[in-house]
Amino acid sequence: MRDDEQSESERNAERWIEMKVIIGFEIHEQLNTKTKLYCDSPTNYRDVPPNTHVCEVCTGMPGAKPYPVNQDAIDAAVEIALMLNCEIVKEPIYIQRKHYDYPDLPSGYQRTSLPIGRNGSLSGIGIWEVHLEEDPGKYDPITGKVDYNRSGVPLVEVVTAPEIYSPEDARNFLRELTKVLSYTGKVRPEGGTMRTDTNISIEGGARVEIKNINSIKGAYRALKFEITRQKNLRKRGVAVKRETRAFLEAQMITKTMRVKEEAEDYRYIPDPDIPPLVITSAKIESIKKTMPEAPHLKEQRFIRQYGIKKDDAWAITGEIEMADAFEEVCKEIDPKTAAPFFRHIIKKKLNFDNKTFSESGLTAGDITTILKSMNLGELTASSGELVIRGIIEEHKPALHIIEEKGLKRITEKDVVEKAVEEAIAENQRAVQDYLSGKVEALNFVVGSVMRKTRGRADAQTVLEMLKRKLEK
Amino acid sequence: MDAEEKVSRYLEKIKKEDKKIKAFIELNPNVLEEAREIDRKIKQRKAGTLAGLAIAIKSNINVRGLRATCASKTLENYVSAYDATVIERIKREDGVIIGMTNMDEFACGSSGETSYFGPTQNPAAPGRIPGGSSSGSAAAVAAQFCDIALGSDTGGSIRNPASHCGVVGLKPTYGLVPRYGLIDLAMSLDQIGPIARDVYFTALMLEVIAGYNPMECTTINVPKQEYSKNLSRNIAGYKIGFAREFEEFTDPKIMGVIKNSLKKLENLGAEIVDVQLPNLGKGLSTYYLTVFVEFFSATRKFDGRRYGYKIEEVCGREVLRRILLGKYISQKEYSGKYYKKALQFRSLIKQELLAALSGVDVIAGPTVPKLPHELGTKIEDPLIMYGYDVLTVPANLAGIPGGVIKAGEAEGIPVGLQIQGKPLEEQRILNVMYALESNSGSRHDEKRI
Ligand SMILES: [Zn+2]
Repeated sequence: MRDDEQSESERNAERWIEMKVIIGFEIHEQLNTKTKLYCDSPTNYRDVPPNTHVCEVCTGMPGAKPYPVNQDAIDAAVEIALMLNCEIVKEPIYIQRKHYDYPDLPSGYQRTSLPIGRNGSLSGIGIWEVHLEEDPGKYDPITGKVDYNRSGVPLVEVVTAPEIYSPEDARNFLRELTKVLSYTGKVRPEGGTMRTDTNISIEGGARVEIKNINSIKGAYRALKFEITRQKNLRKRGVAVKRETRAFLEAQMITKTMRVKEEAEDYRYIPDPDIPPLVITSAKIESIKKTMPEAPHLKEQRFIRQYGIKKDDAWAITGEIEMADAFEEVCKEIDPKTAAPFFRHIIKKKLNFDNKTFSESGLTAGDITTILKSMNLGELTASSGELVIRGIIEEHKPALHIIEEKGLKRITEKDVVEKAVEEAIAENQRAVQDYLSGKVEALNFVVGSVMRKTRGRADAQTVLEMLKRKLEK
Repeated sequence: MDAEEKVSRYLEKIKKEDKKIKAFIELNPNVLEEAREIDRKIKQRKAGTLAGLAIAIKSNINVRGLRATCASKTLENYVSAYDATVIERIKREDGVIIGMTNMDEFACGSSGETSYFGPTQNPAAPGRIPGGSSSGSAAAVAAQFCDIALGSDTGGSIRNPASHCGVVGLKPTYGLVPRYGLIDLAMSLDQIGPIARDVYFTALMLEVIAGYNPMECTTINVPKQEYSKNLSRNIAGYKIGFAREFEEFTDPKIMGVIKNSLKKLENLGAEIVDVQLPNLGKGLSTYYLTVFVEFFSATRKFDGRRYGYKIEEVCGREVLRRILLGKYISQKEYSGKYYKKALQFRSLIKQELLAALSGVDVIAGPTVPKLPHELGTKIEDPLIMYGYDVLTVPANLAGIPGGVIKAGEAEGIPVGLQIQGKPLEEQRILNVMYALESNSGSRHDEKRI
């Protein structure tokens, strides 16, 4: 009887584990405009003391009014929406006031636009909308101080459909989205500016919102934790509450912020100080003309146009600067040679150093030089890798590194020949041993040649040259 | 008389009389020094068009270094760190800011009684309210404490006290004068405008403060007008509209004075034409719903973290009432019901007014439907107080200009004629007022001290 009950509950548990997980995201990323969204204050707040990049507008002083919406920010949001295959809204787009009471919000409301783009998709996941927002200031609960340098910095918010079904898929999606955003060149390049809210529910359960997620890794961990938490509740027969939870990164857990009954009413109103935005077809067309090819399209094109492997194409298109360099290199180098070099040598080093291609200082010119030399047999594969490392670590051009480290393979016959003749003269005993049938004795002579040429001669060539000379 | 001498005379008069009138909250401590500086410029013939004129500023407009209290305890200690755009323009033309005037708290009122610093007296009708909310500005002009004052008008706040105090006031077309630096009551309705003792000064101040500000989304990009230069008393052939609906709302004593001044206009060659404003009475609810919601939003920044006090904890009853009503009707569940409906109704009222204006040059009629009550009268029902605004709110809802000039007196109390015009046709309004003014013999050069 008892056993029966247990296996019954275990079977139930199994069923819970099978239940479908549904995940959606709201992702905020800072745009890299020079000035803030509604004033002329600069946006590079990280480099300056608190409250120095501020004015009446972004500190919400009584009587201050927003400047006209930063056109660069609007254009960036349109471009991002287009890159995510959205339709751009043609009707007037209102800027709304979202009211809530928090120390980092100087006016007691945040300005947030209605959707600029709608009905897009990325990696098969629906994009519900793309819109513009302003960042609040930064509140330090310990000192009680607020730094308004960040207040008014433009943010783009991307809202996905709840069409992601596992933490792994969520991670892949966020990586792909980050890639698209960085392709546009319109978001802050210095990572750590992504802020994500996620909705998660387990089939048949209430939807839970998790806030305070600041990285892809964080999103993955928060989702893992939350799925376990919700499944455990369900296993015990407890209903999952509809609520908002905060992700505590250090502890890797989520914690209740507020339950549904306490849900905030933001009392949205169209901002009377700002006429609605109108995005013309001409504007859309001009942005379409100059915007970059989306990474997944580029990947497909690389496979098609250069005949390279999918994995190589995926790795190379991971960063637009690297993809551009690859295409440049392929003007002179066989893509089938270049692609594996990019993926296995360059990308490996970048991953190891946790650097982006653009931070690395590598240029298409340097890479072409290296690959050419390798093709000509002037550089060995391992020397090629050393040159890449040298460029990244020492910030010097390829030719300098090759020169300094003496990496160039010696191909001038006379130099090698001279060394071979010297080695024969100096190692008569070994030569005699070889001639008397001890084949391995020749390795000693080869070693001597290699020392004389400081390793730049090709061992196989030396060996053949020695044999030829001694057989004469 | 030079600027310094004139300003000192004003200061003396203020010192003597303002304890009773309470037109000012704060005087500019540097005013004499600034006047001396302008006198130097005048001698060098380098001074601007407002050279040496003493200007009083409503306490909801930021003047660097002075307090913009909005006549509220909430902003009791708020010293402006910047100049409003209109103040920059006044200073550029060498006007001297004499002080910050009293007002209804946060411009919420039509009587001048809700100020944290105490009510203002009506210099033209002692014992009566001066009207509001630009009570101190109108009173300062009426009491001859300054040459010109700035007020703000959201639903009549310039025109109402100008009418009660017997001075000239003008609410410009929405967007003609920059609002940058004006502390909000209702952003979609607020406009800064001049109050002066005559039409010439009104026109002069308007031409200084009007004009596009590329950094402000709601200002209109139109060429600068020289209103004072273009003033003309010749209104022969002007068609002046009058709506019968005005009479439904207005005290017959006031109507008598208004009709009288319409006759004067006819004698000056204008033609009085009937126009229809069937929805005139519906403006009030539309107006107040809009004000409540926008005012609630505008006051969220007074959360006690930056300016000392949380507004709800220190403000007067009327301000609190508006905040709470705004909070109530802007709830998500009512979003379609009140504010959005108000916005829809607003466009209906605008269409009606523009249609009525399409066949005429201006519409003339009463400003305030009742005479100002006696100071200290207890008015418990806010709807009675709101009723003062029924004739002035339509101009704000439609965004059109409206001017007020003294038409005469009823029971010894000034009554103002309101003249409303098409958007950006301030000049016609000024001309009609100018014609009427010279007809009543109150020309600016005679009254200038
Ligand atoms: Zn700023």
